[in-house]
Amino acid sequence: MGKDIREDISWAKINTDVLKSLESPRPLYWVIVGVALLMFLGGVSLEAYQYRQGMGVANLNNPHVWGLFIATFIFWIGMSHSGTLLSAILHLMHADWRKPIYRFAEAMTTFSLMTAGLFVMVHLGRLWQFYYSLPYPNERGLWPNFQSPLLWDAMAIFTYLSSSVIFLFIGMIPDLAICRDHLHPGWRKKLYTVLALGWEGTDRQWRNFRVTYLTVACYLIPLAVSVHSIVASDFAMSQQPGWHVTSFPPYFVAGALYSGCAAIITLFIILRYVFKFEEYMTLPILKKTARLTFAIAMVWTYLNAIEFASVWYSHDQASKDVLIQKATGPYAFAWWGMIICGSVVPLALAFKKVQTNIPMLFSVSLLLNLGMWLERWMIVAPTFSHGYYPWTWDHDQWPSFVQWGMVFASFGWFTLLFMIFCKVFPSVSMYEVKEMVYHRSLASKMGGKGGH
Amino acid sequence: MSVSNLLQNWSAVRHTHPVGDAPHAEYKWAMAIDLDACTGCNACSVACYAENNLPAVGKDKFEHGQQMHWMRIERYWDEDGRDMPDQGAQFLPMMCQHCEAAPCETVCPVGATNHTADGLNSQVYNRCVGSRYCSANCPFKVRYFNWYSYPDQEISWPSPMEQQLNPDVTVRTKGVMEKCTFCVQRLTVAKHNARNEGRLVQDGEVQTACQQACPTSAISFGNLVDPASKVAKQWKAQQVELAVDKQAKDEGDDSHEVGEHHSTTKLRGYRIFEELRAYPSVMYLERVRESAV
Amino acid sequence: MIENEFNRRDFLKVLGWGGAAVAVSGCGFTSVQDGVENVVSYVEANEYMIPGIGVYFNSTCAQCDAACGITGKVREGRVLKLEGNAASSINRGRLCGLGQAGVQAHYNPDRVTEPRTGKGEKLDWEKALGQVKEKLTGVSGDEIAFLTGNLSGHLKVLLGNYMDALGSKNHFVYDAVAPAVMRASNKKAYGNEMPALRLDKAKVIVSFGADFLGSWVSPVNFSQQYAQFRKGVNNGGRGVLVQIEPKMTLTGANADRWIPANPGTEGVLALGLINALGAAGVSIPSDIAASVSAYGVERVSKDTGVSAEQIQKLAAVLKERSPSLVIAGGGAEGYAHGSQNAAAVALLNQVLGNVGKTVEAPSVVPFPQLAPTAGGTAGLKAFNDGLAAGKFKVVFTLGANPVYSAPAFMKLADNLKKAAFKVALADAIDETAAQADLVLPLDSAMESWGTVVAEYQAGDAHIGIQQPLMERLYDNTRSAGDILLSLVKQQKADDYKAFEDYYAYLRGAVVQAKGSLGGAGMDDDEFWSTVLSSGMVKTGNASSSLRTSASAVTLPAAAVADAAFPLRLLPYVQPSMRDGRHANLPWLQESPDPLTTIVWDSWVEMHPKTAAKLGIVEGDIVEVTSKSGSIKAQAYIFPGIHPDAVSVPFGNGHTELGRYAKGVGANVFQMLDPVFDQETGELAINETHVKVSKTGKRVIVVKEEGAAGGSQAGKKIAGRLASNNVDLSKEV
Ligand SMILES: Nc1nc2c(c(=O)[nH]1)N[C@H]1C(S)=C(S)[C@@H](COP(=O)(O)OP(=O)(O)OC[C@H]3O[C@@H](n4cnc5c(=O)[nH]c(N)nc54)[C@H](O)[C@@H]3O)O[C@H]1N2
Ligand code: SF4
Ligand code: SF4
Ligand code: SF4
Ligand code: SF4
Ligand code: SF4
Repeated sequence: MGKDIREDISWAKINTDVLKSLESPRPLYWVIVGVALLMFLGGVSLEAYQYRQGMGVANLNNPHVWGLFIATFIFWIGMSHSGTLLSAILHLMHADWRKPIYRFAEAMTTFSLMTAGLFVMVHLGRLWQFYYSLPYPNERGLWPNFQSPLLWDAMAIFTYLSSSVIFLFIGMIPDLAICRDHLHPGWRKKLYTVLALGWEGTDRQWRNFRVTYLTVACYLIPLAVSVHSIVASDFAMSQQPGWHVTSFPPYFVAGALYSGCAAIITLFIILRYVFKFEEYMTLPILKKTARLTFAIAMVWTYLNAIEFASVWYSHDQASKDVLIQKATGPYAFAWWGMIICGSVVPLALAFKKVQTNIPMLFSVSLLLNLGMWLERWMIVAPTFSHGYYPWTWDHDQWPSFVQWGMVFASFGWFTLLFMIFCKVFPSVSMYEVKEMVYHRSLASKMGGKGGH
Repeated sequence: MSVSNLLQNWSAVRHTHPVGDAPHAEYKWAMAIDLDACTGCNACSVACYAENNLPAVGKDKFEHGQQMHWMRIERYWDEDGRDMPDQGAQFLPMMCQHCEAAPCETVCPVGATNHTADGLNSQVYNRCVGSRYCSANCPFKVRYFNWYSYPDQEISWPSPMEQQLNPDVTVRTKGVMEKCTFCVQRLTVAKHNARNEGRLVQDGEVQTACQQACPTSAISFGNLVDPASKVAKQWKAQQVELAVDKQAKDEGDDSHEVGEHHSTTKLRGYRIFEELRAYPSVMYLERVRESAV
Repeated sequence: MIENEFNRRDFLKVLGWGGAAVAVSGCGFTSVQDGVENVVSYVEANEYMIPGIGVYFNSTCAQCDAACGITGKVREGRVLKLEGNAASSINRGRLCGLGQAGVQAHYNPDRVTEPRTGKGEKLDWEKALGQVKEKLTGVSGDEIAFLTGNLSGHLKVLLGNYMDALGSKNHFVYDAVAPAVMRASNKKAYGNEMPALRLDKAKVIVSFGADFLGSWVSPVNFSQQYAQFRKGVNNGGRGVLVQIEPKMTLTGANADRWIPANPGTEGVLALGLINALGAAGVSIPSDIAASVSAYGVERVSKDTGVSAEQIQKLAAVLKERSPSLVIAGGGAEGYAHGSQNAAAVALLNQVLGNVGKTVEAPSVVPFPQLAPTAGGTAGLKAFNDGLAAGKFKVVFTLGANPVYSAPAFMKLADNLKKAAFKVALADAIDETAAQADLVLPLDSAMESWGTVVAEYQAGDAHIGIQQPLMERLYDNTRSAGDILLSLVKQQKADDYKAFEDYYAYLRGAVVQAKGSLGGAGMDDDEFWSTVLSSGMVKTGNASSSLRTSASAVTLPAAAVADAAFPLRLLPYVQPSMRDGRHANLPWLQESPDPLTTIVWDSWVEMHPKTAAKLGIVEGDIVEVTSKSGSIKAQAYIFPGIHPDAVSVPFGNGHTELGRYAKGVGANVFQMLDPVFDQETGELAINETHVKVSKTGKRVIVVKEEGAAGGSQAGKKIAGRLASNNVDLSKEV
């Protein structure tokens, strides 16, 4: 295996390369931003339409009351686990190959959460009253229902989002100082000056920084696990066939990590190409990410199998019916699509050739993302179509263009946020890459062994 | 408003399912529907439209499953592969079962659907944010969401149709959930009148709209706490108990089959999905079919 | 009040009491009106009207001819909801869905609100009525025709008097889905057109296509009796219902045994049962026994398609459980030999000894002038024949929409054009009003005064009082009574000058007769108040009796099938749509058909086998073609129909009648073949033979039933129990 990063890159070059990504964008950048903006604005107008007309335009019905909004909400929540995984978990595990890629992964976390949050909003029948679900003291003594998983959800997401932002920010402080010091006066300089919080790189600052970063990382991991466990609870705590499954929380967390990894591969490749980060986002790192993804895919597959088996061998005919319905009913294409994209396609990642073949990896990662999106849809929809009450079974519920459009728009919104981030903040951690390069050079001096 | 207030009230809120230590004090509204009497005529359903300001949604929206009938009449066929349904069809009026341990209530993030002290599953339109979680968790799928602002739909109440609207019942706005209320507006008036006279509501004093219309009197409704009420007598006679999930009728009978129910007892009262332990407030009486012909 | 030159006989006739012994005498919260034409506004409200509190007024349902008593809830001057009037012996406080929708007929956004010409120009009443008078001058009585739906009470009296004044005998009464054959056969069999049926006393009911729970005669009354019959209240144990009909109706769906005998063989089955009963030892008059001797079980089984075993079982149950009740309804009567079918069924009833037990002499209102004139399609045919011959110059229609409901073979719409001046008294622009030269807009039933006598009187005979439940919604509508009064005044001003309006006429009439209406001791106001507050006048029963002697029936040979039109069309009278006059009420359009659960459309019902043979699946738009016409509608695969038949409901397929009706579904009336019952001349609605072909289009059938169809998917939702396991009469 090749070296995950060249040990002879000079620190100045690292600065220059990364800071170059903050410079005046190339036309391609504007094209991407433009398309993303259009996608997002499309979603905004759909939302305006839905807001005016009522949720009916989404073509949801009684009792099929949830659709792609919720499925896509889970999808984005899942995506958000990428940052936590790469930053916090790998950080604690001292896997320093994460260093060149964790920054954008953290950004992904934040932006996925912001995207997921939108879906909670557009899903609400009375968006204008969303604050009823917040626990605030009011004159009428009304509190939200603390028993409702949806409330836990709201709280967990809010906590996770704020923590992720803090984590992202803290991890950026040394880099922000570099930006501050290297840029000409202007609004950017002012921004970085403020955000760098007077970072000078003193020993004391580094010491405090390390402790803080580690602490937040430690805090973030259980939070991430809990967020998706809670999202799982939206389903598992209900009484519906297909949802009332004890293994949902770990299953959801695995799925989240899985889709997060897949998305990292996708974005990794895009960034590497767009910002010419070949020196930092190297193939060996990609390979490691691919292997990690493979491992998680297998965990997810296993948990999936467990779920099917436990339903199959349970005495709950209703749940069994839902499962059969998923595999044979009108949603069968999506369900089998999920199985194929989620469990069969990742087998490709076991092959070394694929692990380092960028076009292949890129396609695989897209399929995995698709599979994971289908997974979320297949969790939500079939239970509505085939619940306990046969009279209300409805197998032909199909999302309208409003639902599809907003799902589509969410990718625009995410891309938009991400593209803005890449131009405003260093998407590769300069100081950590320097550390990595330093460790590698030390190691090779010591005889090619050793970690950091 | 304080947190201590919240904490104080919390345990009370959690006690809405009346178990031994917190039984219903004065009222527990409940129903019994005799499927042998019900002919499936739909009069109850139309009465509910009239009483509760339900919108006609029109063919397009009906096609998309957005109809708003709180009371729906289901029609089942025998499933034993016979050529001709020579024992007729089976009709079942279905509306909110006012579950004592209502799955819809626990999941509502804002507490917009609650249990009232007299055993109703209430729906507070003003509080509802339209998350639809309640519907997702209702086993009977009897919750109806306002997918549109029906008063603005040309089909529902074009002028002067709006003059028919019952002023005692809210016209719901888009984005809120609704469902059968057991005609709570009628209950409120009856309770109010009774309170003014220093007594409890007597049996027969209040009828739900569906009950009142039903040509075969298949629906009885009343106060389960009042042993003299018809509904309490029916429940008792059928040995159906509110807070129990396996009724006398089901003892020693594992068949649970559709069609002929070979009961060892002479009971025909049952609640749907007893096994889900939602403890519905509606008891159905099995349809009876003669085999001599 | 009474003018002296006005003699007593004429006076009684004017008021509708003619031909009866009426003691004529001198004239609380009871009514919205308290004697004036306008509802008192809230500026000077009656003291009993409290904002926020509902006030209840009794009236009579006008949605069908059963004439159930209604109680309207009125709040702040608006009628909100109708309940059944508990005092009415017809419905005893209950109300069907169709009746409930009466308020929607009232608040319907497509009501016609001003008198208008055929071109749609608005007129005032003076001009409108002036036009009628002008068009009538120089026209002889023979050239004037009045087509109405069933009429009773004082409206009928006024119309009769109007026609007399015009010198016309051309009052045609038309009801598209009437039990007219039954009336005639009842008359022959029992000496009475409409005997009282005691479902509640019967241990067994065998109904040959009478949808008494859905649309037949007096459904609310029968439903109540049915509940008692099932509970075993008056018959000592749960009653057994057997329904014989090739297309399952609501009643069939509730039967213990639904028997889809071959269409038209109801009479054969009835005679076969008589034969089987005779064989089982039931004593049968020898002439009758002889007349049915040809109907052995084998043959009957072959003709009817009902298994021999089933026939034997049925005979056994009928023999064992007495009294029983055998009824013939539309399903058995809609044939060329409909009268014979009905007679055979009546004979079975007689042989079973049910007359006098479950078939009773009816209660009859002792005022023949007020008694309902009940028509059928024979009235339409006569009317149409007159039009076709160009006999009528001026034509009135009221409560009938022949342009919609006349079969195409009659060419009624074209024939109508031959009449120079057509006046439609209508509450909405229906197909007939759209062709009229003058439309006179009617008050809704919630705005009108009237008296209604039900054809089927269930308990104590009574006259239903119709009174306004609220002020008119539109200034320029008039009640049918007011219009007729104005018209009759044009001809005979003097006779009617005492009556300023129909209200005064009606009040005058009722109060005049108070002596024979139980108000002898009361003063006029008091009596009138009593009448209004109860919503009816109990009249006491005129004596009536039934004939018990039976006579033999001969049935014609079975008709031969037509290979070109292999299927039989069995049109369905849907409980909430009936003949289609209420297709503009959204509650009814959205109220699923109980059996198919379809809304807002028509459909073609066919048995799965038939559909499979034709390669048709649910939602296929199929063309149903008869010799006389064709319709296109969605197919619905339905197990409750004879495989050799298809069924399409009446009621939809309007080209007019406002936003809720127009363009919804298909009109099956127009494709009926010209076959008539040979005895009564009624249109034989089950005698149309059709072929069904796919058009290649497919739609989603909009219905309440979900993807599981009628399956409970192994769950216990609608439970069922065999009757030997319970004793309902012991239940609470
Ligand atoms: N006819 C008439 N109309 C008026 C006025 C008038 O003088 N006469 N005055 C006008 C004015 S100034 C005002 S402020 C408004 C007032 O109008 P409302 O607010 O309607 O006042 P009330 O009728 O006094 O009280 C309303 C209800 O509150 C109930 N209530 C009392 N205490 C409590 C409690 O602790 N909790 C709860 N939940 N309910 C309670 C009472 O039983 C009563 O049914 O009316 C206005 N309208
Ligand atoms: S039937 Fe459904 S909506 Fe009604 S209380 Fe039970 S769970 Fe809630
Ligand atoms: S739709 Fe309304 S009542 Fe139902 S869970 Fe959401 S907020 Fe609560
Ligand atoms: S109880 Fe009232 S709200 Fe419920 S179905 Fe009956 S009429 Fe409708
Ligand atoms: S009104 Fe009565 S008989 Fe008719 S469907 Fe409803 S419950 Fe059944
Ligand atoms: S049966 Fe006829 S009269 Fe009686 S309530 Fe129904 S529509 Fe009205």
